[in-house]
Amino acid sequence: MRSRYDWVIWGFLLAGLAITIVFVLVPVLHAIGLSLHSAQSFIAKPVWVGLDNYARILSEPTFWRAALNGLVYAGGSIVLQVVLGIVFALVLNNAFPGQKLVRGLAVLPYLLPTVVVALTFQWMMDGSFGLLTALAREMGFGIVPWFERPGTAMATTIGLSVWLWTPFVTVCFLAGLQSVPQALYDAAKVDGAGAFSRFLHVTLPQLRPVLTVVVLLRAIWMFNKFDIIWLMTKGGPLGATEHLPVLAYKRAFSLFDVGGGAAVATLSFLMLCSVVAIYFRLFPLEEKK
Amino acid sequence: MTKPKMTNVSRRKVLAGAAGLGALSVLPAPAVHAQVHELRFLNAEPAIDSVRALRVAAAQYERERRVKIVVDTVPVGDAYTRMTSAIRGGKPYDIGTLIFVAHVLSLANEGQLTPITQLVNKHKWGKRILFPINGEQYWYMYDYNLCWLFYRKDLYDQLKLEVPKTWAQLLENSRKTMSTSGTQRFGLTTPVGSNDATNWMSFGYLWAEGVSLFDDKWNLTFDTPEARKKTAAYLDFFAELYKTMPPGSTQISFGNVLAQFSADQAAHAPYAGRLIEFLEQRAPQLADKYGMMPYPDQGGHMAAVNHGYDGWVVGKTPLAEEAVRFMEWFSDAHYINFLHSAPLHFQPPRLDIYDDPRWRAHPLIEKHAAAVKQMQGFLEDPNIIIRSIDTEGPAPDLRPAKIFESWVLPEMLQNKVLKNMSSEECVAQAVAGMRKAIG
Repeated sequence: MRSRYDWVIWGFLLAGLAITIVFVLVPVLHAIGLSLHSAQSFIAKPVWVGLDNYARILSEPTFWRAALNGLVYAGGSIVLQVVLGIVFALVLNNAFPGQKLVRGLAVLPYLLPTVVVALTFQWMMDGSFGLLTALAREMGFGIVPWFERPGTAMATTIGLSVWLWTPFVTVCFLAGLQSVPQALYDAAKVDGAGAFSRFLHVTLPQLRPVLTVVVLLRAIWMFNKFDIIWLMTKGGPLGATEHLPVLAYKRAFSLFDVGGGAAVATLSFLMLCSVVAIYFRLFPLEEKK
Repeated sequence: MTKPKMTNVSRRKVLAGAAGLGALSVLPAPAVHAQVHELRFLNAEPAIDSVRALRVAAAQYERERRVKIVVDTVPVGDAYTRMTSAIRGGKPYDIGTLIFVAHVLSLANEGQLTPITQLVNKHKWGKRILFPINGEQYWYMYDYNLCWLFYRKDLYDQLKLEVPKTWAQLLENSRKTMSTSGTQRFGLTTPVGSNDATNWMSFGYLWAEGVSLFDDKWNLTFDTPEARKKTAAYLDFFAELYKTMPPGSTQISFGNVLAQFSADQAAHAPYAGRLIEFLEQRAPQLADKYGMMPYPDQGGHMAAVNHGYDGWVVGKTPLAEEAVRFMEWFSDAHYINFLHSAPLHFQPPRLDIYDDPRWRAHPLIEKHAAAVKQMQGFLEDPNIIIRSIDTEGPAPDLRPAKIFESWVLPEMLQNKVLKNMSSEECVAQAVAGMRKAIG
């Protein structure tokens, strides 16, 4: 039966479709088109080179290093965000004095603009007068080389990303936890299940749909995350934090290689699509009938 | 009692008259508006005084010539992107600020700039500050942006130190000026991260030693045995100097250098005149306790300052002629006012300015006359080399720009000080990186 609100639904659908075409599909196609051309700048006349840019980019070790860095950064960030997000959600799901206030504070980092966070942490981690640097020194850790070593630079960037985006995961899991029926926990208790067993056999399976979506979203966002890395390290030192978005940006905007930058961006897009497709095969959102 | 005289003016008539006047006033509007051109000016000096100087000039020009100047201001690093976006968007800027020679080259090669050779040739300019492209000048420079070394003169006096002429002397002075009593003071601060600050501040020692990147035929002179040897020696020196620097050098940028020197956390620091202005504003107790020197070489024969530059270009727009006229007017009437917006940092590239009493009358220029004289001396002294990564080679070209932007040289430093790689291996990697960057 046709609803008299059908036109509203179609209107929203068409508006969404139009916005997607203009702001997503067209830029993606334009980027793919650019990746098949050679151009020194966005105002230069592009010269058709076919797949040359791809051959060139794929033969460069910097591309593979950037791909690996991206996987390390995204993987490390997601694992920590999910683990900490679940822990915080479990804590915040319990009743305790000031629970509402703590819940509000827990979301705070997510509300801060990335640039503010980056500048604040740069100041706090300054090698000579940074608050965290001084604190670490006072606690006997010596001078922490936050960004001075390839390994620590990546670890610091991951840590910062975890601090910034874990609240999103916490909120999602907290919402999921509140939909788990209490009867399941009661039944598990009757069966003699301990706290950890209840978490493993009741909470986690019940959170699976949320977990699937959260991991997928975080994976897409972290793999494409540009701002925090650019603001903190610009991909350094020695390319240790240079991942595919940073590489694409540097090629297109700094190294006079618009085609190469577009090729990196397209390859990154294809890699992400492949990972998402595999993910959906492994963890389908809907239960199989 | 007389009855007031009634006029025949009714409300209806007043309204009708007003409407008629309104309609008439619209009639000449197209003619008036046609006379008022609007020039779009992209400014990349966001300091409030610089923006104000431009706005004052714009307002005066509009009053005098009936040409409106709309000034948009962006951070310096975004100027080129904004200019190209404006071109792509169909609203190119008539005048723009650019800070990178490759960007001027790129726009000129695409036919997006108007030559201003005649305007530029009206004045005498300092050395290595004009970058003609195919015989034409496209850039009206307002700032030399040289980078040299500052040192704490009071500490030198206290410790009876001589101004260093060699790397070894600088290293020695850097060690001696370190202090761990009270607030920790380091010997020298300089950036080593993958950023523009490192490219600008950390390679003057190399230029002083006579190392270059390209010769007149675009051969990579950095790859000669002599240059490799000199660069390896520089890296050995830098590794020792690094031990006198504050931790966190990979994150140091322009602002950190200012902060560390002014907060007594470093006894030596590279910078341009901005550091003196910063001391005046934030650490006046140190404003008369600094000394300046060019980067020394290994043997005390030559010295260097690292090159920088900023200037304006005129776009190839329908109002290009008008824009050139404005630039002509501005360079006579307001150029000095603009320079005064950062009086010690905007080192004049036009040589006539140094003798201009209007320029010299600024209180800070008067107060720091000795420093200004030394800055001018950097341009005149034949034993001081002026060089920078991105301006290497016989003419503006993308090759040195790509070396600059790929951070090959900062990564060479990082390999040395962060990975403790042998200097020869660091140089070999840098050479490979340069060859890859230039294709």
